[in-house]
Amino acid sequence: MSHKMAACLSLRSTVLRSALRAAFSPARPATAVGLRCVCNAAPEANKRAVGLTESTEEYKFVERLIPPSRVPAPPRHAGPTPSGWTPPADSPPPLPYMIRRSRMHNIPVYSDLTHGSRRTTLVRKVEGDIWALEKDVKQYLKELTGKELPTQVNEVTMTLKVKGHFDAELKEWLAGKGF
Amino acid sequence: MSFPKKPGGKALDVLQNLPRITLANLRPEPGARKTEKRRGRGQHGGNRSGRGHKGERQRGNRPRLGFEGGQTPFYLSIPKYGYNEGHSRRPQYQPLSLKRLQYLIDLGRVDPTQPIDLTQLVNARGVTIQPLKRDYGVQLVDEGADIFAAKINIEVQRASEGVVAAIERNGGVITTGFYDPISLGILIKPVPFFLRGQPIPKRMLPGEDMVPYYTDAENRGYLADPEKIQQARLALAKKYGYILPDISKDELYHMLSMRKDVRQIFFGLAPGWVVSMPEKKILKTTDEKLLKYYSS
Repeated sequence: MSHKMAACLSLRSTVLRSALRAAFSPARPATAVGLRCVCNAAPEANKRAVGLTESTEEYKFVERLIPPSRVPAPPRHAGPTPSGWTPPADSPPPLPYMIRRSRMHNIPVYSDLTHGSRRTTLVRKVEGDIWALEKDVKQYLKELTGKELPTQVNEVTMTLKVKGHFDAELKEWLAGKGF
Repeated sequence: MSFPKKPGGKALDVLQNLPRITLANLRPEPGARKTEKRRGRGQHGGNRSGRGHKGERQRGNRPRLGFEGGQTPFYLSIPKYGYNEGHSRRPQYQPLSLKRLQYLIDLGRVDPTQPIDLTQLVNARGVTIQPLKRDYGVQLVDEGADIFAAKINIEVQRASEGVVAAIERNGGVITTGFYDPISLGILIKPVPFFLRGQPIPKRMLPGEDMVPYYTDAENRGYLADPEKIQQARLALAKKYGYILPDISKDELYHMLSMRKDVRQIFFGLAPGWVVSMPEKKILKTTDEKLLKYYSS
């Protein structure tokens, strides 16, 4: 008796669940789209019967709307652009170090603010002799500010940290060098 | 590029020549480790353990934050005002400065030889629009108006006067258009919409409060009279003191004069069409009633 009751209840619950699913399922658009999904065997016959025309001429407008998945290469510019972006020099400058551009074609100098008052500037993507870069940066900032600023060289990640916010100045200086 | 990568660099060379590192050889930088304050220990830490003398302070029974001893506290003496009332019903527009727009054009992320749409700006990852957070589109902001130097045909949702002047001074065309939230969601993410298989909907007209904005020629609204827009262009040129370049003699005149229909969401695609991306086809209905609805 209890088994039958349990079976009965479970059957009723599944029926109820399927009814609910049918009630709340989104109503498919009444155009030929739903019919297109139904039969793939004779699509043209169905389309003509429902009243649809196909065209591939306007598809080029759709292709314009697809977002690119890669960062496009910037067009050639002779010098600095109106927005302030400077393209890298054609040949790398003859220095013992090299600073690559980021994937968005910008100079990898970033300023950071931690603990509310700790200002640091980070130079990333350094290759070659990082100590020579550190010496040059220290000398440049000494001329700029008149102070000997503490720097930290990380040879594993090849980055240079400088105390203080100097990202704009360092970006200009590096762009001037041709990086 | 031509530099051989030496992981660890000079530090690794130094390390290899030093004696073996053990716990006995290591010491932190002076000032790196500060000993913690231990209360209730020793001559100076003990006795009252930094709690003061008697009262609520020593007994740990101070009143709640903001209590001022009975005087009306600051947070109650200031009257309420509905600054944020109805904030979730206010349309928001993501700002885009002309400086950033110029940067996007310079880096080749936005193509100035094609009409610039919100879809183009989002595809270039220049702005991020969240229609679910009451964003109704993008607004152009004055910053960078003096360095702006690009001739473009741009359509935004709001633009300030300085921006319109800067764009027209360079021989470009600016229009402000309205997109209702559903159309906006489709506009910023066209590919997921096309994959849904639904026909492109009609763009809805603006609500009562926005109609005056979009019918005004000063704002270059898409519902405004084209003649009044021309007059407004001349007036703005006089006000800001620049000569209005003649676009009709431009080689890109056809592109600069391209404008969307009032009910159109995408350039070149009419409402009612279904785009099939796997088959690279567009399906158009031939049913009269549907055609009448979609062209109304």
